[in-house]
Amino acid sequence: MGLTRRNLITHNLIALGALSVLPGLIGAKGALAGAAFRPRRHGPKGDVLVTIFLRGGVDGLSLLVPHGDDDYYKLRPTLALARPGDRAAKAAERVIDLDGFFGLHPALSALRPLHDAGQMAAVHACGSGDQTRSHFEAMATMERGVASETGAASGWLARHLDTVPWNNPSPLRAVALGSLLPQSLRGTSRATALQTVGDLRLHSPFGADSVRFERTLSTLYGRSTLAEAGQEALSVLDSLRRLPETAGKEKNRPGYPKDELAQGLRQVALLLRSEVGLEAACLDHGGYDTHVAQGTAQGILAGRLAELAGAIAAFAADLGPEQWGKTTVLVMSEFGRRAAENSGLGTDHGRGGAMLVLGGHVSGGKVHGPWPGLAPEALDGPGDLRVTTDYRAVLAEVLTLRLQNPNTGSVFPGLAPAQFPGVVHA
Amino acid sequence: MKTPLQTTLQSTFQITRRGALALGGAMAAASLLSGCESLEQRLTKAALPPQAFPPQGLPAHSPALRLLHRAGYGPRPGDLAHFAAIGAEAWVDAQLAPMALEEDARLTWRLRRLGDILEPDPGLLFDQDDHRVVQALREAALLRAVYSRRQLQARMTEFWGDHFNIYAFKGQGPQLKVVDDAQIRPFALGKFRDLLGASARSAAMLGYLDNTANRKGVPNENYARELMELHTLVVRGGYTQADVREVARCLTGWTAEKRWHRGRFQFDASVHDPGAKQVLGTRLPAGGGVRDGERVLDILAAHPATARHLATKLCRRFRGDESPQWVSRLSGIYQKTGGDIAAMLRPLLLSPDFGNAPPIFKRPLDYVVSALRALDADTDGGAGVQGHLEAMGQALFAWPMPDGFPEGEAAWTGAMVPRWNFALALAGGTTENTTLDLPGIVAAGEKLGLTTPDAILELVFGGVATDPALADVRAQARFYPSPREFAAVALMSPAFGWR
Repeated sequence: MGLTRRNLITHNLIALGALSVLPGLIGAKGALAGAAFRPRRHGPKGDVLVTIFLRGGVDGLSLLVPHGDDDYYKLRPTLALARPGDRAAKAAERVIDLDGFFGLHPALSALRPLHDAGQMAAVHACGSGDQTRSHFEAMATMERGVASETGAASGWLARHLDTVPWNNPSPLRAVALGSLLPQSLRGTSRATALQTVGDLRLHSPFGADSVRFERTLSTLYGRSTLAEAGQEALSVLDSLRRLPETAGKEKNRPGYPKDELAQGLRQVALLLRSEVGLEAACLDHGGYDTHVAQGTAQGILAGRLAELAGAIAAFAADLGPEQWGKTTVLVMSEFGRRAAENSGLGTDHGRGGAMLVLGGHVSGGKVHGPWPGLAPEALDGPGDLRVTTDYRAVLAEVLTLRLQNPNTGSVFPGLAPAQFPGVVHA
Repeated sequence: MKTPLQTTLQSTFQITRRGALALGGAMAAASLLSGCESLEQRLTKAALPPQAFPPQGLPAHSPALRLLHRAGYGPRPGDLAHFAAIGAEAWVDAQLAPMALEEDARLTWRLRRLGDILEPDPGLLFDQDDHRVVQALREAALLRAVYSRRQLQARMTEFWGDHFNIYAFKGQGPQLKVVDDAQIRPFALGKFRDLLGASARSAAMLGYLDNTANRKGVPNENYARELMELHTLVVRGGYTQADVREVARCLTGWTAEKRWHRGRFQFDASVHDPGAKQVLGTRLPAGGGVRDGERVLDILAAHPATARHLATKLCRRFRGDESPQWVSRLSGIYQKTGGDIAAMLRPLLLSPDFGNAPPIFKRPLDYVVSALRALDADTDGGAGVQGHLEAMGQALFAWPMPDGFPEGEAAWTGAMVPRWNFALALAGGTTENTTLDLPGIVAAGEKLGLTTPDAILELVFGGVATDPALADVRAQARFYPSPREFAAVALMSPAFGWR
């Protein structure tokens, strides 16, 4: 198992000539306290993956605006965003042009520098085969990494972690920011849900520290029905205790906005800097189910997108060029929304949506995927953007080229070995 | 895997262990371990409890204990004795007729204190601050779970709260949720059609799922979709996108009053779509008015897919599995009785094979409430306890999606540390406005001839302290002479994580 705290204690015990193993003795006091040691560096061979799932079905047509498509303006008399060249609108409220046809929602302006540096790529009209337009079905489908209802029940990220050709025993190998594990991480035994790094410790009100309780728990959970969950939790406590810095001690780091997503990314950056072997981090951003009063350059959706962009920009800046070059951020959502606006000045559930891929090695500065158009005959079902790129193709490309996993056939069984969309490069 | 060598060692170990305690038992024990282990492993193991080699299972639950944990939130001191005195049938029947059960005085008093916030007169509620309202809702829910004698009603109110989930923080959510909550509870053990009607007329629900924006000409499908997908048929139940559209049309006009009687249901005929509609093969002629929506609810409530859906959910919640026989049987009862929930629960709870149902991993609310009940805690159900629930991932009324808090252990085992922190805080007395009377427990145990650890185990595990599966917890007693500390260990143990 390599050099661990337990081993070190053993060596010290032998040195002290004491063979008793009563937990009270292997406490925090005395020669054993603060025994310094170097954890062996674990980590992925390829990039660290950060997924941000936009819950609710983000309106892809507002995230990546097809300002070059007249049908967009016909279908959305109120909700359409002002073209980049529209003098009647304020500059800050116009679409940020990407390639002359597509553009970014103005609220995503914080991502502009990344786009300009070629570190942001987008895929339009992508999605799954799920036809239900149900949040839960579509989320489940996407998090399970399947085409539609049938298929593996485990999460795609869990399968990825189980099929990579290296061993990473770090208990913080895969982390979900929040209190629940997302479905994409279900089925792996080593994923941890945490809200803040600093909070994850046992708070013993009984004086002395909590280490003796941790040893007791290690015994009790050793062979129990919750052995894995318990042992994982204890390993995490141990690892986090060894972090060289806690949030409070970091004075000179770039600032992050105060919202939950930004703070979550801050935790991820902290874990990466601490080299505890983090390989994948999952975050959520909600509030995208804009059935009513979606807003345009201002409003509900704009607020969410501004938060999203601010958080990612702060994260990229905090990581610095070297780590950013070894990181891939995926932004995805369970589906896009109806092409036409509804009576509540919102949009209903749709099909094709948008994905963003950011990082040091994306094929950035462009929008990938064949554009099916918004003409009436081009729309799907009740009037939804057709799916022309299988979201799994994007994930498979990222896993293969950036995360160095050659076994994506096992991660996405049934995905036809079609061409990669070319969103990232090796 | 237990080999003949290990079996021999185990019996040798037990005999030697008793004698060796005075000499530093662990050392003697360590020397008896199988040679397969390295010296390093031997030395770093904590002292082994007896029966180290068989895997630690869960303590056996008597039928009484199972019912108290499944139909209720776990035993309080005295519950098991009461159950033994009246028997399972009488107990279940009393629980199925909650209004005939006299409520716990302490609960009534505590709820009265929250009364000015939780009075279901919406007009008064809107004067209250949002957060104070949500806080009061959470306190009341927790207090009911901990103290109510009407345990099954509390459990079913929780069940319907998940089934008809409303996110309290959307729009006018909190105040409306108070009304919604009060409307749902009386029907918790009644007929599903009544529950469906109460939910569909709930201003909270109509606001949460945007039906208030659902108008003639341009329907908003959100509520119509979730009504079929989550509340009744489920996706596989056989409705189409066209049905979603038509149901949305039927429900145009189902909205809430905005002025004098804020929070009350209102049917606004001026935005109702009066045309003919076709829902799940049934034609609804034009001019139906509010009857359109009522007929939709009738159709959905009577649909076999709804019967199956509810049977499955009740099975999962109470049995911990989706036994095809039970799903079938409960489905049948639903259809024969017009959706009578009590009629479905009774045979499930009283069946001889209820005891064989798989263990259910406690969700955070289960965990917290069962601990408070087991140790007879005195609590105000307020921010002190709620903070722990939130850290565990179950901030009440704050699940953002209409599907309710997830079931199944996979969703909850990522949050072990917050559970342990709650156990430590509760036992250590650092949870705000929540106290335990450990000296009282110790004294009561002494009167019965129980050691302190055994008294604590009897309370925490409901009278099965001598179960072999708890041997490793018992063995920890000698490292934790303080009753509070040992109580923390018992609550943190894996065995307490299941019901």
